[in-house]
Amino acid sequence: MDYKFPEELKYTPTHEWVRVNDTQATVGITDFAQHQLGDIVFVELPEKGMVFEKGSNAVEIESVKAVGDLKMPLSGEIIEINEKIVDNPELVNSSPFNDGWIIKIAFSHPIEIDELITAHEYKVITQKELQQ
Amino acid sequence: MDDEQVNIKKTPLYEMHLSLGARMVKFAGWQMPVQYESIIKEHEAVRSNAGVFDISHMGEFILEGKDVIKFLQHIMINDLNLLKPSKGQYSCMCYENGTVVDDLVYYEETPEKFKMIVNAGNIEKDLQWLNDHKKDFDVNITDLSTKRSRIAFQGPKSDEYLQSIIDIDLSKINRFFFAYCNINESPVFIARTGYTGEKGFELSVDNIHTNKIWNDLINLGATPAGLGARDSLRLEACYSLYGHEISDAITPVEAGLSWLVKPKEGIEYIGKDVLIKQKAEGAQRVLVGLDLVDKGVIRGDYKIFKDETEIGFVTSGGYSPTLKKTIGLGLVKRQYSDVGTEIFIEIRNKLLKGKIVSTPFYRNV
Repeated sequence: MDYKFPEELKYTPTHEWVRVNDTQATVGITDFAQHQLGDIVFVELPEKGMVFEKGSNAVEIESVKAVGDLKMPLSGEIIEINEKIVDNPELVNSSPFNDGWIIKIAFSHPIEIDELITAHEYKVITQKELQQ
Repeated sequence: MDDEQVNIKKTPLYEMHLSLGARMVKFAGWQMPVQYESIIKEHEAVRSNAGVFDISHMGEFILEGKDVIKFLQHIMINDLNLLKPSKGQYSCMCYENGTVVDDLVYYEETPEKFKMIVNAGNIEKDLQWLNDHKKDFDVNITDLSTKRSRIAFQGPKSDEYLQSIIDIDLSKINRFFFAYCNINESPVFIARTGYTGEKGFELSVDNIHTNKIWNDLINLGATPAGLGARDSLRLEACYSLYGHEISDAITPVEAGLSWLVKPKEGIEYIGKDVLIKQKAEGAQRVLVGLDLVDKGVIRGDYKIFKDETEIGFVTSGGYSPTLKKTIGLGLVKRQYSDVGTEIFIEIRNKLLKGKIVSTPFYRNV
C-alpha cells in the first residue's frame, strides 16, 4: 500500500497534517489515517470561534467501523471549517490533503510549529504502526 | 509467533483475499476480510449488481438417523411439519428460559438426513448443545465446518450471472429451497437463501473446489465483499445478528421473531412454555428501528432515553449506504415502542435527538 506524504506539509505523530501560512494553519488528517478509518460517513466539526489547546480533540471523525479524533496540532482559534465535508464526508477519504481539509486555525503559540514533524519522520511512524 | 497467531484459523480463500487487497480482521477466531476496496462500494455493488462473500467461518453439520426430525422438533422453536425434502428452514434453538442458543438454517435432504448451517462464533457451543440433547434420539452428528467452504452470492444480477455457469434451472429453485448440482463441473450445494435483503444464493462446496468457484463467480462480474458490507447490508434488511438482536439474554419474541415460535401441538420443545406465553402476552421489551434527527452515527450499546428515563439500548447501528444516513435497531420498553416516538440516544456523553421508525429499512427479496 503506497500512502501519500506530501513533502511540503508538516505532520503530527497523531496523523494530522498542517499547512502553515503566516498566522494561520490549515489542518486535516493524513492519507494513512483516512485509510485506517475506512469509509468516513460523518465529521463532527467544531464551531468557528472555539479555542483549543494543542493536543486536544477538536473534531470527531466517524467511519463505518470506527471513530477517530483530529487532535489540534497547534493551540489556537478555529477560524474556518470545511463546509463541503458536512454533506460529502467521503472527500476526506478521496482527497485528504486538498478538498478534504478539515479546519483552519489562527494559532496562538508560533513556537509549537517547531514541534511538528517532517513528512519523512511521519512516514517512519506509520511504518512502525503497520508492523504492530 | 504468539498464541493468538498460532490459533487463528484461515479459510481456504485466505490467500485469495490477500491477493485482492483485503483488509483482514480477527472474527470468531478466524482471519476474515472486513473489506477489499471500501465497505460502502461493496455494499452498493450487492444492491445494484452482485457480490461474493466468503462465509467459510460459519459452521456446517450433518445430522443423520431415524430420529432426526423428532430431535429437531424437540430443540427447535420452528415447526418441521412445515418442511419437506429440498427445502430449508430458519429457526432458533432456545434455552428453557426462552433466550437464544443460536439462530440457524437447516435443510432437509431426506427425512433422515439434514444439513445445518450455524454462526461462526457458536460452532463449539452448538455442537455441545446438540450432543447434550440427543441422548434419547437415534441421531448422528458430523461436523463438516472445516471440510467444506461456504460462499454467499447476492444481488439483483445473481440469478442471471449464476445461470450461465450452473447446470440446473435456477428459476425452479424457490426461496429457501436447495439443490445439489455443478458450477462449471465443480459439485456444489446451493440454496436460495441470504443475509443481505437481496435475491441470492448461499453455496457449500468441498474445500478442493473453493478457489475455483470463487474465481468463477468473480469472473462473471461480481464484486468481492467483506464482513463490513455483510453487516451494513443485513442491518438495512433488519436481519438479526447473534449477540446483538438475539442472544442468551434476549428471546426471539423480544427480537421481533415471534413468527418463529410455533404452537407444535403435542410436541415438547425447549423453551416452549416461556415463549408461547410471551408470544401471547407480548414481551416487556421490543426491538424497534431507530433514526437520528441530530447528526451523528448510531452504534451498538448506546443507551436510549425517553426524556429523562432510560428506556433501552441500541443492539446494532451504523451507516446505511442505501438511505445515506445512520440507522439502528434497539431494544426498548414496550410502552415506549410506538413508531414515531421521540427519543434521545446517548452518544459519547451527549443526548442526540432521534425517533423510533418502522422496519425494515430495505428489502428486495
